[in-house]
Amino acid sequence: MTRRYEAVYIFDSTLEDAAINEKISRFHGLLQSPDQISVDHWGRRQLAYKIGPRETGYYVIAKFHATPQVLPEYERAMKLDDGVVRYLITLFEHEVGAPPMTEEELANARRQDDDDDED
Amino acid sequence: MMTTMRTDGMRRPQKSCPFCEGRVHYVDYKDDRTLGRFITDHGKILPSRLSGVCARHQRQLSTAIKRARYLAIIPYIRGHQA
Repeated sequence: MTRRYEAVYIFDSTLEDAAINEKISRFHGLLQSPDQISVDHWGRRQLAYKIGPRETGYYVIAKFHATPQVLPEYERAMKLDDGVVRYLITLFEHEVGAPPMTEEELANARRQDDDDDED
Repeated sequence: MMTTMRTDGMRRPQKSCPFCEGRVHYVDYKDDRTLGRFITDHGKILPSRLSGVCARHQRQLSTAIKRARYLAIIPYIRGHQA
């Protein structure tokens, strides 16, 4: 049985883009995913706090189907890789919700709350 | 003697959950702008009694904030001199 996962990788931002892509394809090769893996590059981004000496990281988000049996090997490859600062694998099996409220809707909701208070 | 009886005691009216209003099924840990509304200036998770978030979404939110902290999307603490 395959399950749907979402993984976030934070690569060392000093790595070349080609090296990052090479690492991603190596990791994804281990997954034996039956279908296309969607990869979203956030690119270089300021970290909210320093991780060791690093202040920026290269964020990549991947969504894929995989059997749970292949995950330990995949995780081990990332742990051993010095270019990966951090990674997070989560199950991605929820419904996709509506987009978050816009500022306008929020203002309306707040106004309604205020009206309630006056009663 | 005329006294007005308050049947609801001194309770504040129930705030509505911002996630339910937005029809959000899942609180995304990658959305730092949304998560930023539910943390204090120091980076603590805002209690649901202040934000009005319902129990289900508060559970999702707390997991999402913890994931986002691990990924350095939002800070663990803010305003602290190292």
